[in-house]
Amino acid sequence: MSVPLKLIYHEEPTRSIDNDPRKAVIKPIVTYSNISKSYGDLHVLKNIDLNIAPGEKVALIGPSGSGKTTLARLLMTLEEPTSGTIEVDGEMLWHQRVKDKLVKANEKHLHQVRGNIGMVFQHFNLFPHMTILRNVMEAPRNVLGLSKEEAKQRAVTMLEQVGLAGKIDAYPAQLSGGQKQRVAIARALVMRPKVMLFDEPTSALDPELVGEVLEVIKAIAAEGEMAMLLITHEMEFARDVADRVLFFDQGRIIEQGPPKKIFNNPESERLQTFLSRFNRH
Amino acid sequence: MWSWEYTLEILPEILAALKITISATFVAFAVALVVGLILTLARRSAFKPLSLFAHGFVEFVRNTPLLVQLYFIFYVLPEHGLSLSPFVAGVVGLGLHYSTYLSEVYRGGIESIPPGQWEAAKALNFSPIDTWRKIILPQSIPPVIPVLGNYLITMFKETPVLSAITLVEIMQTAKMLGSHSFRYLEAFTIVGVMFLILSYSSSLMVRRLEVRLNLR
Ligand SMILES: Nc1ncnc2c1ncn2[C@@H]1O[C@H](COP(=O)(O)OP(=O)(O)O)[C@@H](O)[C@H]1O
Ligand SMILES: [Mg+2]
Repeated sequence: MSVPLKLIYHEEPTRSIDNDPRKAVIKPIVTYSNISKSYGDLHVLKNIDLNIAPGEKVALIGPSGSGKTTLARLLMTLEEPTSGTIEVDGEMLWHQRVKDKLVKANEKHLHQVRGNIGMVFQHFNLFPHMTILRNVMEAPRNVLGLSKEEAKQRAVTMLEQVGLAGKIDAYPAQLSGGQKQRVAIARALVMRPKVMLFDEPTSALDPELVGEVLEVIKAIAAEGEMAMLLITHEMEFARDVADRVLFFDQGRIIEQGPPKKIFNNPESERLQTFLSRFNRH
Repeated sequence: MWSWEYTLEILPEILAALKITISATFVAFAVALVVGLILTLARRSAFKPLSLFAHGFVEFVRNTPLLVQLYFIFYVLPEHGLSLSPFVAGVVGLGLHYSTYLSEVYRGGIESIPPGQWEAAKALNFSPIDTWRKIILPQSIPPVIPVLGNYLITMFKETPVLSAITLVEIMQTAKMLGSHSFRYLEAFTIVGVMFLILSYSSSLMVRRLEVRLNLR
């Protein structure tokens, strides 16, 4: 299926900060510093350090339960880190500086920094009581404070880009899973975040609907400017889209690098084992 | 023995009092709807003093009889400079009492909203107020409308207790008619029949509403 896409994010080739010789001069858009997350005795993330460059597309792969979702949820402020700091565009996310001391961020601060980030969930999480159009225009209207006309226009443009302009008056329950996820993507994109998180966006879909959603995400990635963290089990997709692939296991980044290296020459045994499961079928 | 003549004679007066009963029911219900929602939100508040106060209020109101609360509002508050008419005291008392029950109903509705809705709202950076107004309440209230409707009927049937604070509603009227003529049979029968007709027909309406909501 081909989806008509007008490109709003353009120019600037994508790049990976950890491989870039100009490393020192590129300011990361996201920095995880020594981030740990525990639920009681369960250590889900263990001392994660990670930089994401502006516009960089990072794919996150790894077995289920390894902490991938948690890593994204910390950035979306859905979970609070147990220790460590996260910076977004040079600003602390979970902390703020008050008179040289680092204190827990208040809601106002979180609100301000959170505006840089968007997320697409595995189970779409559309608002079932709103039409497709309202699902997409409500946040620009209420959060960004756009006028009704502006918000509507932005929303319609976005829905055209994901190929759903014909569905604006439908309710989520009337859409297929693939269509729902495309709406969810439009709803996140319309806020023009600098970083987009995709948490297994196609895992809840019937196999025949996976393609249309991946197409849309690829087209968005091709526009370039926005950094993306893609949690996925679609290895081919990760290879096509990502500038860098991170392999996660048991709350740690075990191995990372450009897709070619990760998929063709995996170093660690765990990654080799993990990938062999996908190659079998 | 039953006298139709006497029945017809007192019917207009009782019907006039029914108006008071019905308006007291609706006003008290409105109070309960608003205060109930405020209590629900206050109980969920992260601001501890507020949620503790709301919890305490709910427990207090639920564990004391409505009649005592009404007496308190109508007879004790005036001693402290707050005099209310029987109607106002009645709807405030009845409304506050039932607000604690409606608060539970709202809570159930709110807790049935999947966490993903809250998370999507946060990911889109909705403010807490907009999250409630646009996302959570519009989804949690429609499913509990039938339950709210049943509470409206319950409150309607509870209004005779307001006669205790001298509100001349249908029950008080029947009592007065009875003591004037020494005939109680007709007056109380009419009252009973009116409650029966109105409650039963309303509960049928609520049930139809429930079916329609379930079909959606
Ligand atoms: N709210 C929570 N409470 C307790 N344990 C949790 C919670 N969220 C996630 N976990 C646990 O954290 C681990 C990592 O989960 P997750 O980040 O979802 O992994 P992945 O996305 O890689 O499958 C799992 O063992 C999961 O059960
Ligand atoms: Mg996950």
